[in-house]
Amino acid sequence: MYYATIFWDYTKTYMKTRMTYRADFIIEVLTNLAFQLMNLLFIIVVFQHTSFLGGWSREEIIFIYGYFMLPYGVFMTFFNLWDFTERYIVKGEMDRILTRPAYNLVQLMLENMNPSSLFGSLTGMLIMGYAWLQLDVTLQWYDPFVLLLFVAGSVMVYGGIYISITALSFFSDAPTGIHALMWNIQNYGRYPVNIYNKVIRFVLTWILPFAFVGIYPSAFFLDKEVTTLFSFLTPVVGLAFLTMGILIWNFGVRKYRGAGS
Amino acid sequence: MLAIEVENLRKEFRVQQNREGLKGAFRDLFKRRYNHVTAVENINFQIPKGEICGYIGENGAGKSTTIKMLTGILVPTSGKVVVNGYVPFQEREKYVKEIGVVFGQRSQLWWDIAVIESFQLLRKVYRVPEQDFKKRMDELVERLHLQEVLHRPVRKLSLGQRMRCELAASLLHNPSIVFLDEPTIGLDIVVKTEIRQFLKEMNKKYETTILLTTHDLQDIEALCSRVVMLDEGKIIYDGDLEQLKQRWGKGKEIVFHFAEAVNMQTLQQLTQGMEVKWQQDHPYEAKVWVPFEQENVSEVMRSVVSELNINDMKIIETNTDDIVREIYKSGSAETAGENHHA
Repeated sequence: MYYATIFWDYTKTYMKTRMTYRADFIIEVLTNLAFQLMNLLFIIVVFQHTSFLGGWSREEIIFIYGYFMLPYGVFMTFFNLWDFTERYIVKGEMDRILTRPAYNLVQLMLENMNPSSLFGSLTGMLIMGYAWLQLDVTLQWYDPFVLLLFVAGSVMVYGGIYISITALSFFSDAPTGIHALMWNIQNYGRYPVNIYNKVIRFVLTWILPFAFVGIYPSAFFLDKEVTTLFSFLTPVVGLAFLTMGILIWNFGVRKYRGAGS
Repeated sequence: MLAIEVENLRKEFRVQQNREGLKGAFRDLFKRRYNHVTAVENINFQIPKGEICGYIGENGAGKSTTIKMLTGILVPTSGKVVVNGYVPFQEREKYVKEIGVVFGQRSQLWWDIAVIESFQLLRKVYRVPEQDFKKRMDELVERLHLQEVLHRPVRKLSLGQRMRCELAASLLHNPSIVFLDEPTIGLDIVVKTEIRQFLKEMNKKYETTILLTTHDLQDIEALCSRVVMLDEGKIIYDGDLEQLKQRWGKGKEIVFHFAEAVNMQTLQQLTQGMEVKWQQDHPYEAKVWVPFEQENVSEVMRSVVSELNINDMKIIETNTDDIVREIYKSGSAETAGENHHA
């Protein structure tokens, strides 16, 4: 309850700040969308050369892409901590966070909240809807609930990995490069895992489980029997990775050394 | 009742050592060498409730590190810290509700929104009931003269205005202990005086315990009944300010301008039997130090004035700056005292 009220207050603050920089806000939303649509265009171009990708049709891949945009948008809204090392560790802003009576990670998420990313999720829904109309798969009554569950799981997968990686800032002064690496790997999760070799498939499922933010959960809605088990693993894997991330984070906070002043 | 209790507190940092040159940098890549730096070395002190305590020391003496351990930001390497009955780093979120913290060089307000909106947000974070908040706010606005800045965004405030807002922000939840890390840094004398006045009143009215670090010894003189002095991670003095002045001050200094040339011998003869120290840089001018409680200043003056023709004369109080500088030079309060008396 407490966190719900401060969440709302931080949201209001975000909006007040955003209103002062209106043009900036619009440009940000537009660039985000343009970037996502470019990726989509890439899929369409690929399918002009082939009609199947590892046994998946163009509409199915587009559907996966649409699904992926849902958790991604939510994730980008709450985990907007790209300059964490620079701002909070090097400049010592973490001191301020730690002297306030709310869980530090939640404060960080709320302070850097970026709801404009939710437009990406909205677009994702539209893309999913479009692909679904083309695909002629039946919609079950429970599908919306399962979708909600899976999206929550995928967001947790993202959050868990991201929190673990960000927590490295507490141990090392400059873990540059890791974010970029992760960024590249996460793109693999949008395509069917059976097109990759065994090692990459294993990594995407168990080590950096980005397959659970795209292909595995969305396969459920496409009635692909092969991966149903994996689809339902999404919330489990999400919970496991989020727990791990938070544990690493809490351990890291104890190692925080502050900036000299 | 004790507000702050520190026993054998120690904090070590591991600092990477960089080797020189490109070759050195290359070797650092594979094998790092670390140095253990002890920022705070087994310190002990206790602060009773309602006291204003000054925490002073040179840059890098370990002041900020201590404050950060007391506020729960840093985890001590060893030793015991208990503040308000809490071990700060263990129950941090519960503990920080009862303290206020101001870091002079860092802002806790939201840059782009009006000051009052920052306060409102902090009210929610600290779970202060609406009514308490209103009462508290009225008082702070009046005391710190915030009326005309409340509706301006923080980025448009002057440093003095911002500092007053920072203070108000850290006191919204009526904390029983306040930590101030260089609260007057960079401020002009008017704002400094205002802030000192405010802190003093608050301490009196609410019995707020205040621990402040500063480089401005006038802060200490205006506010603190007690001083803890730190050097290289160790406490070199802990006691009240008056005592520090009396024991290690050079006493009072009198400067004479004579109408005729005078020599050292004459002067020393005049004050024979008194424990004073003369110094002469010029035949027409001389200084004499009169130690505290040992000689009477008027006694010394009378014996000089009655024998010699004087144009001008000036009495200079020892100032805390000089004492502190003296103590740092010798590295310990004990030896500084001895040197002087010798």
